[in-house]
Amino acid sequence: MIPLAKISKLTGGILAALSLCAHAAEAPKNVDVKQFSKKVEDVVVPLPNEVFGALNKLGGVNWREYVRNDKGSNFTERPRIALLLGSVIADGFIAVQAEDAPTVKDIGQRVLSLAKGIGVGNSITPHAKAITEAADKRNWKGVRQELDKTQNSVQQAMNEVHDQKLSQLVSLGGWLRGTEVLTTVVTKRYSEEGAELLHQPDLVNYFETRLQAMPEFNLKLIQDIHAALIEVRPLVDVGEAHIPPASVKKINEITTRLGDAITKKTP
Amino acid sequence: MTSFLKPAWRAALIALVLAVAPSGLGSVDDAQAFALQAADPYIKEGFQVREDYWGGDLAAGEKKAVRQQLFKGNEYWFWLGSEVETAKVSVHIYDSEGKLAEQPDSWQKGHFAAAHIIPKSTGSYFVIVEVESSPEERTHWALVYGFR
Repeated sequence: MIPLAKISKLTGGILAALSLCAHAAEAPKNVDVKQFSKKVEDVVVPLPNEVFGALNKLGGVNWREYVRNDKGSNFTERPRIALLLGSVIADGFIAVQAEDAPTVKDIGQRVLSLAKGIGVGNSITPHAKAITEAADKRNWKGVRQELDKTQNSVQQAMNEVHDQKLSQLVSLGGWLRGTEVLTTVVTKRYSEEGAELLHQPDLVNYFETRLQAMPEFNLKLIQDIHAALIEVRPLVDVGEAHIPPASVKKINEITTRLGDAITKKTP
Repeated sequence: MTSFLKPAWRAALIALVLAVAPSGLGSVDDAQAFALQAADPYIKEGFQVREDYWGGDLAAGEKKAVRQQLFKGNEYWFWLGSEVETAKVSVHIYDSEGKLAEQPDSWQKGHFAAAHIIPKSTGSYFVIVEVESSPEERTHWALVYGFR
């Protein structure tokens, strides 16, 4: 993959001009999405900061309240490390929202140590360094970009060694932490617009299906997450209706419980 | 590997390699480089482009849908590219009911295309990519997206 940094500003200018003279795309106003049922790629898992960005636009979020300094336990089971890694990367995005440079730097080091724990440390070392440098300069855009690169590099490295399932657990860990914070914010100050950000039934289905296909990860935590997703699905699959405060609170209880279980050693 | 090269020269070299590479020898990574080229001007406008991307190969006239969770409040662009310069590609965004949901400034130009959406509601959307025409039997495509 060619990183963005390698793309020339000159070609950017050419493309900008190109888009001006490009044709407005004409497309059918309606399509039968069912015709694509066999040609649909898996749902794309958004980065935690996509939902944080949307939440931020609703106003009034004191991100410092949600910065987590607990680094989590040291695990030996690779699925647990993968879940924690995703959760810690999500914490990195929260620390960026809070513009908390020391925590961002700690998280960069923690991510590196977790990545080493699952054998993909080499691919992360340059990103951990870049996170520290960008945090020192308070270059928050740069930190966000490096966190995205970190997650992408970890997952690519896992995919290369056919550890796609661990890669999916990284995404799941990030999604759970993001949902925990989203529901905490919306529970504190409910709005229909804030609750609507939880309308993610396809993502819940996606993770549920993926967990079903991981019988080899015979861990109580994985089973608990699977059961929790089944519980969450009807709460977010509401069609055109609003997600009520009680549902937001329930999802918050579930994701907070899972978040604790991901970070702490349980008997 | 090329750290001795200054960034502008390095970028020019990449562009040159992509330009002279026989299309039949291209790859999804090459297609991604073109998708990122299409995205480049928008980075200056504050769009954060995801590192991850989606790609594959399609025959002329063939379509592929990518399901995407979008959040109301954000603004998204999806950029499609192919390394087959004489190919014509398109990308369009539909909501979960199959209704066209993109903004009118979405565009298409040869082996580049882009679709712009400001979601009216949070939920799943379908991003449909198509190789409309191509001299190749199979044409690589890559899709990247950015948000702000």
